[in-house]
Amino acid sequence: MPGILIVEDDKELRDMLKISLIRHKYTVLEAADGKEAITHFKPSITDLVITDLIMPDEDGLKVIMRLREIKPSLKIIAISGGGKAGPGSYLNLAKALGANAIFSKPFSINDLIAKIELLMNDEQPA
Amino acid sequence: MKIRPNISADSNFLRFLNDEKEISDHIFNYSRSMISIINRNYIYEKVNSTFCNAHGVVPDTIVGKSLGEVWGNDVFENAIKSNIDLCFTGKTVRYEAPFSTPQNGERYFEVIFRPLPDRTENIFYILAETLDIHDQKQLEQKAIEKEEEFRKFETNLPVGFIRCDPEGKILNANKAFLRIMDCQDEVSVKEANLKSFYQEEGLFEIHLEQLIDCNAKNLGRVYLKNWYGKEIPCRISGYLAVNESGKPLFVDLAVEDSSHEIMLEDRLLQAQKLETIGALAGGIAHDFNNILATISGYAEMLQEDLHEDSELSEKVNKILGAVSKARSITNQILTFSRHVEQEKVPVSISEVIAETVGFVKSSIPSNIVIKSYIPSKRANVLADPTQLFRVFLNLMTNAIQAMEHTGGTLSVNMDIVKGKSVKHELNKDIVADEYVLLIFKDTGIGMEPSLMNRIFEPFFTTREVGKGTGLGLSVIHGIIKEMEGEILVSSKKEQGSVFYVYLPVSTQYPDFPGKTDRKKRILFITGNKYESRILSLALENTGYELIYISDQNHLIRIMTGEDESPDLVIYMSDSRQIQQGDIVAIFNRLKILTPLILITDSNRELLEEKLLNSGIVKQQLIKPVSLKEITEAIKSLLK
Repeated sequence: MPGILIVEDDKELRDMLKISLIRHKYTVLEAADGKEAITHFKPSITDLVITDLIMPDEDGLKVIMRLREIKPSLKIIAISGGGKAGPGSYLNLAKALGANAIFSKPFSINDLIAKIELLMNDEQPA
Repeated sequence: MKIRPNISADSNFLRFLNDEKEISDHIFNYSRSMISIINRNYIYEKVNSTFCNAHGVVPDTIVGKSLGEVWGNDVFENAIKSNIDLCFTGKTVRYEAPFSTPQNGERYFEVIFRPLPDRTENIFYILAETLDIHDQKQLEQKAIEKEEEFRKFETNLPVGFIRCDPEGKILNANKAFLRIMDCQDEVSVKEANLKSFYQEEGLFEIHLEQLIDCNAKNLGRVYLKNWYGKEIPCRISGYLAVNESGKPLFVDLAVEDSSHEIMLEDRLLQAQKLETIGALAGGIAHDFNNILATISGYAEMLQEDLHEDSELSEKVNKILGAVSKARSITNQILTFSRHVEQEKVPVSISEVIAETVGFVKSSIPSNIVIKSYIPSKRANVLADPTQLFRVFLNLMTNAIQAMEHTGGTLSVNMDIVKGKSVKHELNKDIVADEYVLLIFKDTGIGMEPSLMNRIFEPFFTTREVGKGTGLGLSVIHGIIKEMEGEILVSSKKEQGSVFYVYLPVSTQYPDFPGKTDRKKRILFITGNKYESRILSLALENTGYELIYISDQNHLIRIMTGEDESPDLVIYMSDSRQIQQGDIVAIFNRLKILTPLILITDSNRELLEEKLLNSGIVKQQLIKPVSLKEITEAIKSLLK
């Protein structure tokens, strides 16, 4: 069963994502900020990471860089809802850093699930 | 005979008389003036020592010589002869002129020619007296220059100088004061009372008291009225002159027009305010997007749990519809606060404006006329054409709404102006040599100044609560700022408003990625030719070939034709001739596998399940679609 790490500082949103992913039979791991995500990262059981980009402790861009370094085959989806530097530019940066997909908040959870399924079936390394 | 004491005096005087010639010779020779006697042939008959000294010679070398020989023929002919001739007619001639002498170089002289008539009143000789007034002249010249300098200072500086008596009666006023007060009639200003130029009654007296306390003072910002009663904000400094006993004699005031300064200050304040609101609103929008993501996520899960025909399912759909509306608002806020990056391509501004004018014209009420002047000269700006369309559409719609009851004229003018010439107007760094200036002028209801200052704030609206979000102009402001342009407004109540949009002209020309490759062909199915034309302007500039179709037969012809079939189809759900069901039918019947992008209005309920579930739609975009969104969708599908 593929493992997905959700890195999101907004608890309600994180819970929603968790419930939705569990419904689709994924194993879910959680982190409330980038620092937690990096320090508690378990490469052996994590296949995909969904990360917010603007978070209080270590932003999502750092998460993408660090986790990719640890596990190059990791799939990454970046989500952002607009902040100081703008979601457009952050999301683009995330893509440039190697995120497999990017979503602007608010996104359709069905679209997100569809994307996850696509990435999980895709055997190509990122 | 008694000898009277004064006899000796008499004899002294007789002796004196005997010496008279000697004395007069002495006076003649040692006068500060050069003195000479000249005969009718312009020959020196007699010259004094001063004359000789100035020429560094003894008398013999001058006497007998002509004036031409002594002063040079040119000087004689041009500066001396006519005066001598006049003197020989019996007149005393007096004039000032520079002359060169061998000893002293060129100096200024006062020259007096006096006729010396003989007993028969014939004039054969004249007496020439030439006084060196060079030093005097220099002082005089300096004084004139000083005065001239001050006069220039007083007339060239844009500072009004005015002198009045303690009662306010104007004694003198310079040109700049007349200019500031917009008064052509110098005489009537000088007969006026300064108090009549004060907006506030009694303020002149207060100023006078302040000046009595400390006779020179900066009086600060004062509102004056110009000749026509218009309020002019001025900065005034004053000086009070008093006599020995301290009685006020007159008041001098320096008056500077500070309206431009105040306008710039206001604009800066305005910009700072918008910046602050933007940062605040952007932060809120960010948090809201998180909340919206949570709401829509649960709603979608709920929808999955519910049976399609369930009554509750409809309610969940309403929740999703509301989320979509809220999303559109947060997006607008993010655009206003410039938190959304725009995909920019070089766009010919005149094409976008022409399309927008065409679009607006197709739906205006009959009491409104649109006049547009768009020069043929091509000017490109770096922009997302769909955003530009939005900006122009919004400005024109506002103008039309301002005239909906009265009717009127909306004029749209485009001009290309030099960056340098607008620097002052924009009060910021110029980023391009040239700017496109677009002017949208209506004859509608206009605005109060207090309103005008706030129109670019988000959520500021003059419409009834519930009608419009009040985001329109703030979003436009954000888009234009993002393009490093500027939007300014001027308005008069009951007369109309004018919006000025400045956009930097780009010297970058559209470049087509992969020029050598075959251009990808995109089929555009649409009912709204203007809106889609804008999108296509953008796409053509990014290197795609576009085919528009609006009827079914055309679609079938293209999809079954001998020409290469398109690489991609973009379908706008508002297309009337080709309904959503038609698309499904045609695609299924012809077994078309070409990817399709669906563009819909934000309202989800309009969509037919048939189309959504058909698998034909590879990507769905919700209006307003930005260039960035559509190019990303196209790129990902054509990979």
